[in-house]
Amino acid sequence: MLLYNIKIAIKSLRRNPILTLLLIGAIALGICVSTTFIALRHIFEKDPLPGKSASMHYVRLDNWDPTRAYVAEDPTSIPSQITYRDARALLKSDIPTRQTPMYKTTAFIFPDAKVGRPFAQDIRITFNDFFDMFDVPFQHGGPWTDAADAKPEQVVVIDQAINEKLFGGGNSVGKTVRIDERNYKVVGVLAPWRPATKFYDLTQSATNPLEGMFMPFNFTEVLEIVTSGNTDGWKSPDGDGVQAFLNSETVWLQFWVELPTPEKQAAYREWVNNYVRDQKKLGRFPRPLYTKVTSMPELMREFQVVPAAVKSMSIVSVLFLVVCSLNLVGLLLGKFLARIPEVSVRRALGASRLQVFWQHVVECELVGIAGGAIGLALSLAVLKMIGKFVPGGHEVIRLDGEMVLVSIFLSLVAGLMAGLYPSWRVCSVAPAMQLKVQ
Amino acid sequence: MPIGPILRAMNHNRTRFALIILEIAITLAIVTNAVNMILAERREMQRQSGFVDDNLVSINAQPFAPEFSEQSFVENVVANDLRALHALPGVKAAAATRIVPWQGGGSSGVWKTAGYPEKVQAQIYATTPRLFDVLGAPVAQGRGFNESDTPTDPNTPTQVTVISRALARKFWGDANPIGKVITDGAGETPRTVIGVIDRFYNPYAWNIGEFVLFTPGRAYGPGGMRYLIRVEDGAMKSVAAQLEPRLLQVNPGRVFRTRTIAEVKDGFFSGRRLIVTSMTAVIVVLVFVTALGILGITSLAVSERTKQIGTRRALGATKGDILKHFLAENWIVTTIGLILGIIATYALNFALVSNLTDVKMPWYLVGVGMVILWINGLVATIPPALRAARVAPAIATRSV
Repeated sequence: MLLYNIKIAIKSLRRNPILTLLLIGAIALGICVSTTFIALRHIFEKDPLPGKSASMHYVRLDNWDPTRAYVAEDPTSIPSQITYRDARALLKSDIPTRQTPMYKTTAFIFPDAKVGRPFAQDIRITFNDFFDMFDVPFQHGGPWTDAADAKPEQVVVIDQAINEKLFGGGNSVGKTVRIDERNYKVVGVLAPWRPATKFYDLTQSATNPLEGMFMPFNFTEVLEIVTSGNTDGWKSPDGDGVQAFLNSETVWLQFWVELPTPEKQAAYREWVNNYVRDQKKLGRFPRPLYTKVTSMPELMREFQVVPAAVKSMSIVSVLFLVVCSLNLVGLLLGKFLARIPEVSVRRALGASRLQVFWQHVVECELVGIAGGAIGLALSLAVLKMIGKFVPGGHEVIRLDGEMVLVSIFLSLVAGLMAGLYPSWRVCSVAPAMQLKVQ
Repeated sequence: MPIGPILRAMNHNRTRFALIILEIAITLAIVTNAVNMILAERREMQRQSGFVDDNLVSINAQPFAPEFSEQSFVENVVANDLRALHALPGVKAAAATRIVPWQGGGSSGVWKTAGYPEKVQAQIYATTPRLFDVLGAPVAQGRGFNESDTPTDPNTPTQVTVISRALARKFWGDANPIGKVITDGAGETPRTVIGVIDRFYNPYAWNIGEFVLFTPGRAYGPGGMRYLIRVEDGAMKSVAAQLEPRLLQVNPGRVFRTRTIAEVKDGFFSGRRLIVTSMTAVIVVLVFVTALGILGITSLAVSERTKQIGTRRALGATKGDILKHFLAENWIVTTIGLILGIIATYALNFALVSNLTDVKMPWYLVGVGMVILWINGLVATIPPALRAARVAPAIATRSV
């Protein structure tokens, strides 16, 4: 029956090719616009660690100026990062299953003289838990060991691009890289890894490029590494030099903990509060007790990872699809009503209302599918263009399987919305009436 | 013109007109809100940095050679760099800088002054004496820095500052800011205001884009140096290409990055430009789609009513009467749609404003949107209405 309906529908669509093109064009436009903007929003909104993100938590402590909140106009604001001494203290908790403080720095890489001149490179300084916590995929080797973290040993993990640049690709585990004045052993090479947002560090733009190298955190003091991320302070350090900076109230570290159960989350929150209470006794944390242990999805909302304009555009684009559908209703109504004489013959020959109704709905859905396919292809092209427009966008801006499904679903719904009323009108024709007139 | 028959005729085709009304209402809501967003983005994009952004290029040098840990070595390299830059053909002036127009973000601190109750967050940048000339930002009141303002010891805090007009207004209103003293949040490191520049804007995470203190200083150190270079008209391309090779000759122990300020600004606004472009495309396509929709539905109405039109013509209605009938019909439908559209516009604006913070819908935009859609509706009705007017009276006498 369905095949038969499709056959009739194709015949009917062929009878008036211009109208058919118009119908398909309207759906294609609507699908192109809505898919594009919904996909853009989805790129930002997508859960970066499906099934796991709810147990990843970001720790913040209000160590700010007693007379002034972190953002002066907003008393609920809290410093977006923590101090070095607090990071060191938080590491002592054994409640989280995994945890790491981290930051970004820039250092010089000295490739083999045959390969090229030294270049500046962004490096993430972190503990080895980073790789497990954030599901970082490895091509060769793996994270450095706990012993390498403790000592710290001169080891690095590099991404594909750096591996390509320094060693021409391949399994480079065991090779050495010179970073500033020292040689480091490569222990791991990442597989291609490009999450849509830099979800593990939202303190700068969520679309910033990821670092291509990773080094143990305990080098911070040994090498006096300086962050190239944000630093915010309200009180000058007691003296110059790196040690004074590390002891200061300046915030510059992100701190992530993995807390898989609500019990652990509650226990950890209490542990952090107790830590701050203890510090208050020492004269630190002059503001009222205020700490935040925020899950990743919540943090992404709080940091407004989805730009407001992208949200607005996704809403507008769906309304656009509605307008296209409304147009279709009008056109289909005309098309179907003009066919009433033909339909009433079918009805008189024994076709039930339901059969007539289905036949017309199938026709509308054919239009929906054809328009949807064209719209999807158009939206692929538009997204590609947008990717070129936005710095670094070509890596991130694309349609994933989920969005293709959404697009197909939208075209089916649009075809149905447009076709339901006209199909109902045409099937409610009484058979005899029309025959009489003829 | 009798309105009764028109309304009765419309009542016969309720669904069809309901469709047009809905379509027009949603179209008005989208168009006005989209234009509103575009205007908001454009306002941001048209802000002035306060500097002459054209013909300005920056080169950033990051040293890796160990000798750069010596301050005297750095001083020497910077002096040689500047000499080399000034000798390049096409270069008007060059200076070491901590700030590049449109870099977005930078360094800031909390400041206060006697007599003003609050501490104020403002940006702060060390500046060499010639930088204001290179930037094209004249010191409007008081004076700029001279060589003697820079303390000889890099660790000594500076004594004087040049601030932006916005910061001066914030602290002292319209009073003369020259000679006033600004301290940091703890009341230390006092600096006397010696000059004011009229305009400054560098977007910042906090709402402090227009507040800035410039202090006399080296604007470079062991961590690196950055120069701003003003070039002659038309010389940008050749100068930009020569910068890196020339500075490599001075000292090869560094890596460089050259960017024109036009590129920096472009990069900074790429997101906003994307919004403006895509919103504009959506508006244009939508208005076109709506016009096509009205055209299609009215054409249908005309071909269905050919017989009635013929009858009216046979009974003495002129071509003009028929034309007027369809135009009036459309006018009524469009107007109802637009009135509903006003409600839809504010509803959508409400939904969007809960996302965006400061994009309220101005009433005149709704007015302009209504006028455009009125004209759009009229234009879309004219072709089918003309066709209706051409229906011959004789049609009425034919059966089927």
